[in-house]
Amino acid sequence: MSSEKVAPWPAVPILKPEEVYAGLSDQAKDYPLYLESIVRQEHNFEKPEALARLRVFDTSTRMMIGHWCSSMLSELGAEVIQVEPPGGDPMRKLTPFGKRDYMFVDKESGEPVGAHFLHEMRNKLSVTLNLETEEGREVFKKMAVHADVIIENDPPGHRDSLGIGYRQLREINPKLIYCWVGQLGQWGPHKDKPGALEPTAQAACGFVHGTGDPKEFGGQPTRSALWMADHVGGTSAAMGILAALLYRENVSGEGQFIEATAAEAIIRILDYSWAWYGMDGSIRPRFGNWDLAINIYAVNPCKDGYMMVGGGHDRLWYRIWRTVGDEHPAVEEDILGDPHLREVADRLAMNQQIKTYTMLGEWLKDNSRSEAERKLSKQQVASGGVLYVNEVAEYPHFKYRGHVAEYESPHYGKILYGTTPFLQHKTPGRLKWLGRPTGFDNEDVYRRLLGFTRDDFARLRKESVI
Amino acid sequence: MLLICPSCKTKNFLDPYPFWNFEGTTKCASCKGIWRLKTVSGVCVSGPEKATGEPTLLPGFAETQNYEPISGPGVTRPAPRARKDSACRPIPMEKNIRGNPISGHPLKKEDLVGSRSKALAATA
Amino acid sequence: MAAETKTKHSGNGHDNGFEDFCRSVFDPKKEFSKPEALKGVRVLSCTQYILGPSCASYLAELGAEVIKVEAPRRGEAMRHTTPFNEPFLYPLSKWVPERGTGLGFLGANPNEYFCSIDFHRPEGQALLKKLVAKSDVFVENYRPGTFDRWGIGYRQLKEINPRLVYCWLGGFGGWGPGRVRASYDILGQAQGGNFGMTGKQEFMGGSPSKHTIWLADYWGGMMGAVQVLAALYYRDKVSGEGTFTEYSQVHGVTRQLEYALPLYGRHGITRERWGNWDTQLCVHGIVKCGKSTLPDSQNPQESEEGYILISAYSDGDFAKLCKTIGNADLGSKYAKADIRIKPDAQMEIYPALEKWAADKTKEQAASILDNAGILNQPVWNAKEVATNPHWTERGAVRWLDDPTYGELLHQGPSYKMSATPPRLKWALKPVGADNEQIFGKLAGLGPNDIKRLEDQECI
Repeated sequence: MSSEKVAPWPAVPILKPEEVYAGLSDQAKDYPLYLESIVRQEHNFEKPEALARLRVFDTSTRMMIGHWCSSMLSELGAEVIQVEPPGGDPMRKLTPFGKRDYMFVDKESGEPVGAHFLHEMRNKLSVTLNLETEEGREVFKKMAVHADVIIENDPPGHRDSLGIGYRQLREINPKLIYCWVGQLGQWGPHKDKPGALEPTAQAACGFVHGTGDPKEFGGQPTRSALWMADHVGGTSAAMGILAALLYRENVSGEGQFIEATAAEAIIRILDYSWAWYGMDGSIRPRFGNWDLAINIYAVNPCKDGYMMVGGGHDRLWYRIWRTVGDEHPAVEEDILGDPHLREVADRLAMNQQIKTYTMLGEWLKDNSRSEAERKLSKQQVASGGVLYVNEVAEYPHFKYRGHVAEYESPHYGKILYGTTPFLQHKTPGRLKWLGRPTGFDNEDVYRRLLGFTRDDFARLRKESVI
Repeated sequence: MLLICPSCKTKNFLDPYPFWNFEGTTKCASCKGIWRLKTVSGVCVSGPEKATGEPTLLPGFAETQNYEPISGPGVTRPAPRARKDSACRPIPMEKNIRGNPISGHPLKKEDLVGSRSKALAATA
Repeated sequence: MAAETKTKHSGNGHDNGFEDFCRSVFDPKKEFSKPEALKGVRVLSCTQYILGPSCASYLAELGAEVIKVEAPRRGEAMRHTTPFNEPFLYPLSKWVPERGTGLGFLGANPNEYFCSIDFHRPEGQALLKKLVAKSDVFVENYRPGTFDRWGIGYRQLKEINPRLVYCWLGGFGGWGPGRVRASYDILGQAQGGNFGMTGKQEFMGGSPSKHTIWLADYWGGMMGAVQVLAALYYRDKVSGEGTFTEYSQVHGVTRQLEYALPLYGRHGITRERWGNWDTQLCVHGIVKCGKSTLPDSQNPQESEEGYILISAYSDGDFAKLCKTIGNADLGSKYAKADIRIKPDAQMEIYPALEKWAADKTKEQAASILDNAGILNQPVWNAKEVATNPHWTERGAVRWLDDPTYGELLHQGPSYKMSATPPRLKWALKPVGADNEQIFGKLAGLGPNDIKRLEDQECI
């Protein structure tokens, strides 16, 4: 591994509280220090976990939406057992540009895993089980007795046709919360096809069409770099699972069937696209890094990269130009004198936005991201540069708050990762481990849940059931 | 980049993204003069110099020194539009695209019952 | 990848009525015949913009009684944003009927009751405390410490109601060197890291691109709702106590970066933009189709040429794709997945696909690919989505008979449940529309009290 070439993280030491709050009055420090006392991650392991009583079987493969959903639950303390086909979830093999060097290798077994899968394999156990065999399905039915939640993403109807879908398992365990996740759905004219994965959902829901520069500006419909709809869909699935859990515990004593699709999660949050079309037939256009509904609210090029500046309402509008005026008085004067920019509402027209950002560009070209932010913050204007991951990893505020942290895995060594955002006073989310080799927990899980003997293990391994 | 036309002083707005690192010609929206220029990271490093021929890229928008807007086909680049007749100001609406009533137009106090339009409350 | 081994129905070839079963249990038309998961839960939403409000709205969909508390008369700032300044819904409030609420407010506050309180005034704060005493959840996204200063922060409210789940959401969090920074959604995207990775490749002249939706805000609200639901479960099941939850939007975005942080930490490599192609699978990218589906449309959005996602990343599917497009050379040169995943391979393959699609609409391309059994997804615009029978049948986009504003086309909930489905009741209401009902019911205010306080603009 080439970790010797790379400087250890963090390159710059993380600030201490004394440094962060230096020079502040007691009154000014009081509230942030109070927050630190109740939510800092250092205290996590002194506190209980919200979902400690929950057992989840994540049987999804070939997509990330199910793994994202089960991460939401595992970070909050649920026992999540990932049920993978023998040889592991095919997602383990993904690595950028096919580079084996970028994979993480288990010290003991030599099994490689790609960073994409690794990052989401948090707090989860791994067992192997071949659901395409009769014997495997019998094992699975026995496991269902012990499950609070089962997550799957097989092609629509596949599990049902194998006798291990919602309709069959609810007979075995009426308390079971069964969650199917996917791209477009289990039913309807365009239901999921086998093998489909993100960004299928992004393309089907209007997101891709609406992202990127307009054609007139040399742009095209653009996908998120990330399998982003899987994240939003997986979070939606987690909301459904937790709602079902609350209802089961407080009212009914029974589970139910949940369906969450990556596309519908994005449709939910495409704010005004639908109402706008329904009112006057408007089709939401791409608008690049500017905003259809707010000016100033955009990212534009600056001296050393790209800069976000925000301030749609009058107070902030004038403060932005005040800042610009310190260096380019003629620009501020022009803007203040422009009758077409006087009313907040008038600033939204395309032509007015072109003028606004061209004039702002006269100032941005002379200012780096950090200079621009420093100057604008004096006027309490929200701004910040577009950061790349190397900058995110070293950003003082993020390091201090632990958005980025390093975990030392007994299997994989040191791993830099994005931490759980579930900060809380009483039952915070946390990371217990990151990464798990395929089937690492077969022995533990099958013994304690199903009472497997040595013979069972040997026989099922021989038959490629586990 | 703000290009003040050396000939007629029209303000031509060369919008940030396409003109940030640009080498070529553009056309004044008012006097149609062709200007060659080069920008690097938003800074004009050469030009504007008089040139001829078809412009590489039109300005995004333009206006006179007195804030009179100048735009149109062949003059500035077309803006992205949500409909053919985008107006960019409030459009009163009483019916949606299905022809059913919506409360999309300004009201007066006498039009209300409680916090709702009388017209729509009546259909309840 | 095991795409080929899992065929549609590997059992007996029929689906045993499964699709019909799903259609029935998830039928949007049956939503109101089923109970609500959060019946009896009361949420106060003292929120503005999108991050805070959307969090409360996900609870409102599940049946919680959510009370939105805004500034008197003109309400919160988000009511005043609308795309291109064109569509508004009237009245803004009974005091200001000549103005409307912009569509930017839609989607973040459905199913809620709307009242107004001026938090700056002691009488307003006292009124709020009466509501808090009877609530389960308190959501706010004001600047950190604001509510604490007003005597209505977590420290104070938990004394009034120890069962309260206090949910704060914001940009940069309430502690740390950047805590004082105001934040917006795209600032969260920019600083959290997903912005810099998205967009056309640098070497192809591209630049970073924001996600068109207020992703950090709306998805951040979902993350807040997940925390609240887990906290309610723990309260009801175990502790009997509420808690304080903090969600920082920029933290959420950093959580989403997939392989970028491990890759950077181990190898010092910064994940770059890769446009509409995929860094881990090939072919799995969005390509341009040369023709427009509706070239004569008056709407410029419809007269643009189309785009399509083509997904053929296994060796077998890639071979099929090359055969379908009649490019045997491509097929033999890049037969192996680990060869075609490389950057130079992709730079040859995708242009070849665009050459094939240059004389086709996205529907024509899709049809040819469908017949050949190759996965694809046309890139649909807002109209194509809103009118697509798949989405309308499933209730993802639906016509809503809103009691105040008439018939609106509106998004449905983001997930489905068979027994306690989330549902859409109404889109929004004018500022303070429910003052009488809420303050009468929960704070014992009579009509004279309410009139006095409204005249003083305290509510």
